[in-house]
Amino acid sequence: MELTVLGASFTLLLLLGVPVAFSIGLASVATIVAAGLPVAIVFQKMVGGMQVFSFLAIPFFVFAGELMLYGGIAERIVRFANSLVGHVRGGLGMSNVVGCTLFGGVAGSPLADVSAMGSVMIPLMKKEGYHADYAVNVTTHAALVGALMPTSHNLIIFALATTGIASVSVFNLILAGVIPAMLLTVANLVAAYWVAVKRGYPTHGAFPGWGAVLLAFIAALPGLMVVVIILAGILSGVFTATESAATAVFWALLITVFVYRTLSWQNFLKACAKACKTTGVVLLLIGISAAFGYFMALYEVPQQTGELMKQVTEQPWLIFLMVNVLLFVLGTFLDMAATILICTPIFLPICQQYGMDPTQFGIMLLINCALGLNTPPVGTTQFVGCAIGGISVGEVMRSIAPFYGALIATMMLVTYVPAFSLWLPGLMK
Amino acid sequence: MLAIAGLLALILCVQYQVIGRYLFNDTPTWAEALALLLVSYVTALGVAVGVRDAGHIGLESVIGLLPEAWRLKLELLIHALVALFGALMLHSGWMWTTLKWSERKPMLPVPAGLDYLPLVIAGALIVLFSIEHIVALLRGTIVEPAWN
Amino acid sequence: VEFRSSDVHNSDDYPTVAAVRHMSELLAKASSGKHKIKVFNKGALGSEKETIDQVKIGALDLTRVNISPMNSICAKTQVPTMPFLFRSVEHMRKALDGPAGEEILKSCEDQGFIGLAFYDSGARSIYGNKPVKTVADAKGMKIRVQQSDLWVALVSAMGANATPMPIGEVYTGLKTKLIDAAENNIPSYDGFKHFEAVKYYSRTEHSMAPEMLLMSKTVWDKLPKAEQDMIRAAAKESVAFQRRKWDEQEAKSLAIVKAGGAEIVEVDKASFQGVMSPVYSKFMTTDDLKRLVKTIQDTK
Ligand code: NA
Ligand code: NA
Repeated sequence: MELTVLGASFTLLLLLGVPVAFSIGLASVATIVAAGLPVAIVFQKMVGGMQVFSFLAIPFFVFAGELMLYGGIAERIVRFANSLVGHVRGGLGMSNVVGCTLFGGVAGSPLADVSAMGSVMIPLMKKEGYHADYAVNVTTHAALVGALMPTSHNLIIFALATTGIASVSVFNLILAGVIPAMLLTVANLVAAYWVAVKRGYPTHGAFPGWGAVLLAFIAALPGLMVVVIILAGILSGVFTATESAATAVFWALLITVFVYRTLSWQNFLKACAKACKTTGVVLLLIGISAAFGYFMALYEVPQQTGELMKQVTEQPWLIFLMVNVLLFVLGTFLDMAATILICTPIFLPICQQYGMDPTQFGIMLLINCALGLNTPPVGTTQFVGCAIGGISVGEVMRSIAPFYGALIATMMLVTYVPAFSLWLPGLMK
Repeated sequence: MLAIAGLLALILCVQYQVIGRYLFNDTPTWAEALALLLVSYVTALGVAVGVRDAGHIGLESVIGLLPEAWRLKLELLIHALVALFGALMLHSGWMWTTLKWSERKPMLPVPAGLDYLPLVIAGALIVLFSIEHIVALLRGTIVEPAWN
Repeated sequence: VEFRSSDVHNSDDYPTVAAVRHMSELLAKASSGKHKIKVFNKGALGSEKETIDQVKIGALDLTRVNISPMNSICAKTQVPTMPFLFRSVEHMRKALDGPAGEEILKSCEDQGFIGLAFYDSGARSIYGNKPVKTVADAKGMKIRVQQSDLWVALVSAMGANATPMPIGEVYTGLKTKLIDAAENNIPSYDGFKHFEAVKYYSRTEHSMAPEMLLMSKTVWDKLPKAEQDMIRAAAKESVAFQRRKWDEQEAKSLAIVKAGGAEIVEVDKASFQGVMSPVYSKFMTTDDLKRLVKTIQDTK
């Protein structure tokens, strides 16, 4: 009964055109009233959902991105990227994929990735004549690779979730994610290129020669150092992810004010203001999604699904397919961490029973959760991308098919070919 | 301006934490707690500005299909619903703030209720800005985005 | 009525989760099926702090939490957290089963909580990238603690650099040497896979802070006396069950971490004990608290 209220009111509000965050919020309120519980819980969940330390990185990455944008760092990085791959059709889209993947390796979070790279790349691509929906789709899909990268805290969450079910080593998980991450990057490049050709996006002249590439690289180097600082900082253990994000802001300020001398006082204020606004929009969504997840747990939606599934089929490949579909459905509504924690205990034993390795399951789950991040009604990465690109989720969804294709192809390969995830950790034994 | 000051203070907090750990080999334990508190205030103001500047994301396809007269009514309804949520946020936020006021926050010598005060601020501002939108719609004027 | 109870542990077989399930069976039997308890583990209803607040306003019936987040709510819960207060696990169990334990449970009542039981959480020790045999070894080490003043003070008293951090970031922190060590019981050292990151578990056993089972006073006051007694009795009975499960879990985890290459280091506990008086003088400030400490120390 309460679940019907939740689903119906949310769908109705969304269709009316109420902003997504407020639709989730009002639907949660309606549900909790129907359940006879205090409305205050919804807001407690919201505050709790926003006060996770790792989310501190979000305002910082957003801010650093804004500074890069207004301070001319982004232009230099893009000039370098263009000199390298700009002569390829849709070159800016391609360099976006590579940039996002690199950044994702650093941040380990699709959300931080899309905040940082998206703030730079999306407005730039629009300026260069790419459609906003293409710019958003390229960025949000490239950002998903971040969930598989060694710094991804989601790997740790999965290892935690397996406690008492299977013994999964975090080290193995990290290795297992490497090849699927590369696979996904290649698939993203193919999708980005294919759409670019179909839409006739510009090439920016001929290949300028390696000398020009080197010059562009040197000009962009101080900007690229932001990435190096973060990567080196985290890998060496000097910073936590959050601290490195704050340091990135400092560095970005330093070079735009003293090295490039491109940041005016007015642009600085503008960057600050926009960072505050985006932070508010993003964190409200994250917080209110936590309230949504609370209901899913309270009414045991995932558990009941798991019970039902067992009765339908006994074929391994069909079971794996069904698990993927169910994970996808649940993942569209839930936050990544919540999906991992709630679904692992249900689906891991089933998949193990039909011969899947727990480490392989983990990577499959992460890719699937990543897909949910770019799927309405609750797709946080997609929301951020849309907010930056200034377009609606509906517009983005119309041209998402090739990018979904890339993601689903990778997911299928990981699901049905164990070697993609298990070969590298196997080498280390 | 307040939000900007908060954002900058936030960065200083986390930087100070790093400096403390390496230069003085003494992690300032309050820095992280303060940063987390500040982020919720920045968020509260950002959320409210998002409402004012129509920065929150939603599906607009249905509205676009409707005739003019209906569209106005629907837009009024949407702003009213957002205002309702703001009012509930204000109310619940006030309840939690007062309930947790006597309790001290760990690591920081301030009341635990301060965690929930941003709800009160954001709620109040959401209500105000929604009303501003409703008034503007009725008058046929447009709310100029403050921060673009 | 089916009461809702919260727990943050993932495993359905975790001692505290299993204990509250066991309590539900006992309660169902005693009330001829009228009452039972449904456990929502995996943090489904929220973090320990959130569920405490939900219990306070009566939105949640029961919650099982560590004692630390209660420290800022009722002062007397600080007592069992104090370093080297208990001489041994037996001493801890005896003291908490006795009048001192009763008084601490009761002290949460005026804040809206009915303290039903203490569960074991074992002894906490330091684990890191080097053995810590005496307090001198801990000097200058960056040791992760829970985000609480008491824990910061406790680790600082050892001369170490207390670094508060959420548990989810500890693994990466240890691996990248952002922190040198953390402190926890053996099942957590195993469960969070921290033994993969650092090898030396030094048995400092500096604290035996227990877990608590709390019920909402709002809900409690609506029940007739006879049913309240049934709940209390079932909770008390579940304690023995939990302790048995805990001992099994500890043995199992010890075997796992040893097989994973961890080394268990015996330490000079007296050297640690010697530096703890500042913690007592900072937190055991009232006569009530001092008296409770004494009562526990005098428990034979
Ligand atoms: Na989604
Ligand atoms: Na999602």
